[in-house]
Amino acid sequence: MRVESRISGPSSGAWPWGWWLLIPIGLVFAYPFLWMFLSIFKDNQEIFQPMSLMPTRWDLEPLRRLLSGEWFPFWRVLALSLCMALGQSLGAVMLTSMAGFAFAKLRFRARALLMLACLCTVVLPRQMLVVPLLDWVNFIGLHGSVWGVMFPGMASGLGILFFTQAFRQVPDAYLEVACIEGATEWRAYWLLLPMLGSCLLSYGLIHFILAWNEHLIPLVVLKGDAQQTLPLALASLYGSSLRFPYAALMAGSFVAMIPPMCLFLLSYRRFRNALSQIILS
Amino acid sequence: MKQLRYRSLIGLLGPFFLCFVLFWLVPLIGGVRLSFYANTLVGEGSFVGFDHYRALLDDARYFKAIRNTSIYALGSLLCILPLSLVLAHALQSLASRWRSVIQFVLLVPGLTPPAVLALLFLLVFHGRAGLLNQWFVMPLGGQPINWLKDPDVILAALVLQCIWRWLGFITFFVHSGMQAIPSMYYEALQIESRHAWHRFWWVTLPGLRHVLLFCLIYLIVDAFALFSGAYVLLGGSGGTADAGLMLVSYLYQSALTFGRFGSAAAMGIAIAPCLLGILGLMAWFGSKYSQQTGGSKA
Repeated sequence: MRVESRISGPSSGAWPWGWWLLIPIGLVFAYPFLWMFLSIFKDNQEIFQPMSLMPTRWDLEPLRRLLSGEWFPFWRVLALSLCMALGQSLGAVMLTSMAGFAFAKLRFRARALLMLACLCTVVLPRQMLVVPLLDWVNFIGLHGSVWGVMFPGMASGLGILFFTQAFRQVPDAYLEVACIEGATEWRAYWLLLPMLGSCLLSYGLIHFILAWNEHLIPLVVLKGDAQQTLPLALASLYGSSLRFPYAALMAGSFVAMIPPMCLFLLSYRRFRNALSQIILS
Repeated sequence: MKQLRYRSLIGLLGPFFLCFVLFWLVPLIGGVRLSFYANTLVGEGSFVGFDHYRALLDDARYFKAIRNTSIYALGSLLCILPLSLVLAHALQSLASRWRSVIQFVLLVPGLTPPAVLALLFLLVFHGRAGLLNQWFVMPLGGQPINWLKDPDVILAALVLQCIWRWLGFITFFVHSGMQAIPSMYYEALQIESRHAWHRFWWVTLPGLRHVLLFCLIYLIVDAFALFSGAYVLLGGSGGTADAGLMLVSYLYQSALTFGRFGSAAAMGIAIAPCLLGILGLMAWFGSKYSQQTGGSKA
């Protein structure tokens, strides 16, 4: 027992050495976000003094103007962003978990070749191919459509890697039992899927965050001001004029942080477990 | 296992590969085709062969963009990976209750949209009154630096932003990896040596090699796909004297500001083999190394 605690547990001292490092770093990491939240209530002059943290008065006017859609149709933009990120992440989870199952559990010719092709999408991100992608999306008539943003995002090599690894954790015996019972591979996939609940959730979360944060693809595929995601709308607000109340920008940024944070907080424990399971192999 | 039914195989793999072909492979091939045609906004340009590639060789801004992106990738790698190892050990020394709290605080920048991050960075860190100057530069006796305007420090500012963004996530991965190392390896080493450094060098580091390789590749790819941060920080251009010009920013600028679609496609295609080659080599060395050492791979 003593050996165990020496190795992996926290040291027995009352004040672990890690604090000396983590408190300053944590402060540097957390301060800007705290400041951002409090800046929702400040006027421009105060915002340009980043050392002062607390606002002198609590003014909700910019927040109200933002929500009422004075600069951009706030609720519509928020709904569009949410729909797109959720749809893309659900689609990616479905497609990549199916393909990951096939890569992990079935033996077929050209498996290595197809796997390699998937890895190429990880290495050569679609941001580098943005010009021909735009050209092609225009050609097939998806320009200005949310599908033109969602489909490219679903072809995610990262998901293939993740689910191939995850399905390798599942013992082959389950699959053999399913096959003896006469189930098709397709059916076996459905039977194994509930065992990977944490993994599905984790990858869905990762992909949601990636999709929510994406800037370039929506910028070129969607049609200007009529269709905007939240990051796009915020980026176009910034620098529009000096008279613009930055507090509204801070409020918008704060809203943009809420969905990924909430999802992450809700699934934090399962995310951790799934991750260390994947790493173990 | 009995004979594989090809119909169900197609059912499982088909949807993904349909997406893959339509939205990755076709744009890639289309990009190669586009790069051989003249720059036009609408309709077909005339076939120009390798002209765009030849022009790229003389394009100082293109090489500047590649140089900047590589420095950015290298700088962020060299800072983030060692720091994350240290931080993961620091986390390990805490009680588990506090560990989750601190870990979440570190993860917050990674969960934030990069556009917001760049905005915060701009307001909080830059200028004379900014935190970087007030907390770090001035106490150390330096002159306040105008981050983002001074061409010598723009890249450093971008790297700092990258560290701020990814350090938490990489630490999270490394720490999860550390917890996955079976404790019997440490127990075995206890017999040989009680030195903390030996524990790190002989058990922790080899146990983390897959995680570190993944993080390495991820960070490099992310550096080459960097757009939002630089776009918001520097307003779509390369900043003062192009000191912060990134590859994707330059691509975007050529295509959508100046309408040079052909050249922009050529830029993307020209860098692709280099990137594929470098990362492929890395992955290959990584797997070769882990085969040689055998190690804990189940």
